[in-house]
Amino acid sequence: MQSAPLPESLADLAGLDPNSTPVMILMSLIGAALIGSLMMTNTALAGPWAKRKITAAFTDRIAVDRIGPFGLLIIVADSVRLLSKELIVPEGVDRPAWDLAPLLIASSALLGFAVIPMGNGLHLADPEVGLAYVFATASMASIGLVMAGYASNNKYSFLGGLRAVAQNLAYEIPLILTGASVVIFAGSLQISEIVAAQSATLIGPIPSWYAFVNPFAFVLFMIANLAEVGRNPFDIPEAPTEIVAGYQTEYSSVYFVLIYLGEFIHIFLGGAIIATIFLGGPAGPVLPGIVWFLIKIWGVFLFTQWARSAVPRVRIDQLIEIGWKGMLVLSLANLLLTAVIVGVVA
Amino acid sequence: MSLEKPSSPTEIGVTEDGLDYDALAELLGGHVIDRESHVNAEGFVVRPDEVQAVLSTLKTEAGFDHLANLTAQEYDDRYESIYHLRKYDDPTQELSIVVPSPKDDPHNQSAARIYDTADWHEREAYDLVGIDYDDHPDLRRILLPETWQGHPLSQDYDQNQPQIVTLRENANPLQDDQRSEDDPDTMFVNIGPHHPATHGVLHVKTVLDGEQVADIDPDIGYLHRCEEQMCQQGTYRHQIMPYPDRWDYVSAGMLNEWAYARAAEDLADIEVPEYAQVIRTMSAELSRIAAHMLALGTFALDVFGDFTAIFQYAFRDREVVMNILEDISGQRLMFNYFRLGGVAWDLPEPRDEFFEKIRDFLDDLPYKLEEYHDLITGNEIFQMRCVDTGVLTPEKAKSYGATGPVARGSGVDYDLRRDDPYGYYDELDWNVVTETGCDNFSRVLVRMREVEESARIIEQCVDLLEQWPEDDREIQANVPRTLRPEPDEEIYRAVEGAKGELGIYIRSDGTDKPARFKIRSPCFSNLQTLPEMSQGEYIPDMIASLGSLDIVLGEVDR
Repeated sequence: MQSAPLPESLADLAGLDPNSTPVMILMSLIGAALIGSLMMTNTALAGPWAKRKITAAFTDRIAVDRIGPFGLLIIVADSVRLLSKELIVPEGVDRPAWDLAPLLIASSALLGFAVIPMGNGLHLADPEVGLAYVFATASMASIGLVMAGYASNNKYSFLGGLRAVAQNLAYEIPLILTGASVVIFAGSLQISEIVAAQSATLIGPIPSWYAFVNPFAFVLFMIANLAEVGRNPFDIPEAPTEIVAGYQTEYSSVYFVLIYLGEFIHIFLGGAIIATIFLGGPAGPVLPGIVWFLIKIWGVFLFTQWARSAVPRVRIDQLIEIGWKGMLVLSLANLLLTAVIVGVVA
Repeated sequence: MSLEKPSSPTEIGVTEDGLDYDALAELLGGHVIDRESHVNAEGFVVRPDEVQAVLSTLKTEAGFDHLANLTAQEYDDRYESIYHLRKYDDPTQELSIVVPSPKDDPHNQSAARIYDTADWHEREAYDLVGIDYDDHPDLRRILLPETWQGHPLSQDYDQNQPQIVTLRENANPLQDDQRSEDDPDTMFVNIGPHHPATHGVLHVKTVLDGEQVADIDPDIGYLHRCEEQMCQQGTYRHQIMPYPDRWDYVSAGMLNEWAYARAAEDLADIEVPEYAQVIRTMSAELSRIAAHMLALGTFALDVFGDFTAIFQYAFRDREVVMNILEDISGQRLMFNYFRLGGVAWDLPEPRDEFFEKIRDFLDDLPYKLEEYHDLITGNEIFQMRCVDTGVLTPEKAKSYGATGPVARGSGVDYDLRRDDPYGYYDELDWNVVTETGCDNFSRVLVRMREVEESARIIEQCVDLLEQWPEDDREIQANVPRTLRPEPDEEIYRAVEGAKGELGIYIRSDGTDKPARFKIRSPCFSNLQTLPEMSQGEYIPDMIASLGSLDIVLGEVDR
């Protein structure tokens, strides 16, 4: 790794002793705030503005362009609008689960960014089990979805919650198995190691990013990731035309914002994982690492939005079938093949 | 001409020049107690307790497989239900079964055992006119709330009587439905009246078994606006024509207007000039394209699950048609362009520019349709979702009185433009589109291919109109200022609307207003097939089936 994780550099910058625990706790908190703000900024840009503009471009429309340059001030307007709405708490909701669910959905994805190296030293922590930690935090959102679905005391929410569980079970296993094949290549769960393993070149100018080394795993991971973040063709936990809005039917105002935010952070976390384990993390020519990193996660975001604009939604039974009968088998085969090849070569 | 279709000659009463009503009366023997002459067909009067025997004989032995409509009305001395029968093979073979019932206790046998479609039609007759149908499977109100007092189209109904229903008295939709409680594995869920996929205010009472639909019951009437009564209070000449635009209000206005125009013109014996007929044909087909584009876009919305590209593309292209319709009629939604005996005004000037606009649209259309096919029908996920879901067999489609793209998607070759020609259709070269898949996919394909056929019709109309000699452009026949058709004439006439057979029944009483005005809405009959299509299917398929029916609640509820 080229630079130390963020808290240490912050301590250096402040001229404090990086070996003292209180200093490190403080610096970690500052670092977390920095990373969190960065991702929140991205989400704010994506949610009210970029998503609209991208979808509009796909569907021959103009979208927001009245307030500010390119309609950018819609972000402010939307924030004020959403936060000033009344928070309606339906009768019979199961509190505190109902209140905790939006928090869990929004925060779980944010936690994952702690171990993601974003380039230019923006790397909060680098534990040895980094990749396992990221997958664990990303999966926590499923609990939030079930909580929201069950606690809302609404049949549509309930159906949405059940669908979310079924979907996440079916797709998280292929997701992690495919991730594991990368671990076999890199020989480590530590994210800095995985990124470092991709810094060599494969053939000519092509870097040895795992997307190029094993494109099959990359495609599998992209698909499983679409399901993991619940975007078309796998947006069935929300399924607006079928079950209204699924688990988020009863949420309004701030809670709605949290869930909505959580979804976008989740897409970005998915993008960050893909960028890190398949696209060489912050690596890239000329531009600084952080810029490359952002380009990569926005590329994944663009991909999800493209799928959303063009691909029909599959049915719940078809989704489960694709997950268990297709993705699981393929990802297992990928894992085995990778293990054999790596074993033979090494 | 590609439009000929032979009818089987073995059926009773079928001769070279139309129906032999004597042979039919003979078939029914003593059941026929009297015969009436309606403008469109003969009416056989039968006793109220022999309805099932008569209808089942006519269905099985004389081939009347289409119960097009049921009109109920009250006279000074009796109630009357008229069953308008036709044949899917040849809808010009018509027969009306007139069933009088006593004034003090109006009831007659239900036809629901013979034709599934009679179920809802009789419920509507009970609801609005107040006739009881014996042996009906489920005789409840259908359009009005269950707590409504009186029957609004009956003579002694007091319109000023307040209909105050407190919230407590109003039936709780969950209370009377114990199905979910009998069986702990099922769940009752109200889909609608406020739901993203109901295409208006439709309420579908659904019982779910997990993700599968165990039982559904569409509940309609939220958009009932007394259209029939309003038409009965308007004069033939001018006051009725604006209403049809408000039935199927999503751009099918021209087609709806034609339904009324055709019925009233045949009733009053008005001959429409040929030039006006060509204009009517062209504008009606433009309306059909606009309506099918919307159907396509909203169906894609239901299957794709979001306002995706295809929805926006369909709306973008529909916009071009809407602009042309606006040029013709001056309106985008409520055209009010047809007049009895013609149309309101001639095509817009400069004509060259106008024709150029239409031709540009027609030239672009094939590429646009190709794009749609790439996006939806060619998409594997779309095929996975739509092929073999929402299956409606041809037999069931006929029994439920399904018409339009819904019937044609089930392989029922029935199109009134060809089978019961009106306007200028029989002079033009076009084809009736059918698909035999019987599923959601077929119904979408039918609509997409019908857009192509409509484009062919429009192109031929434009050719004709361009060459039409300038001194022969007669847009309006001579129609008296106040139209008073002969008293006691009865007529049922239908046109091929965007959703199917849109029929009007009119009874005249010698005044300038109809004594009874009944609308046969294709969506009303088509919607009845929803339980048939979706039982045992998954919720998403039920939603897709509902979308593939392409209902407009303004026409279902009227």
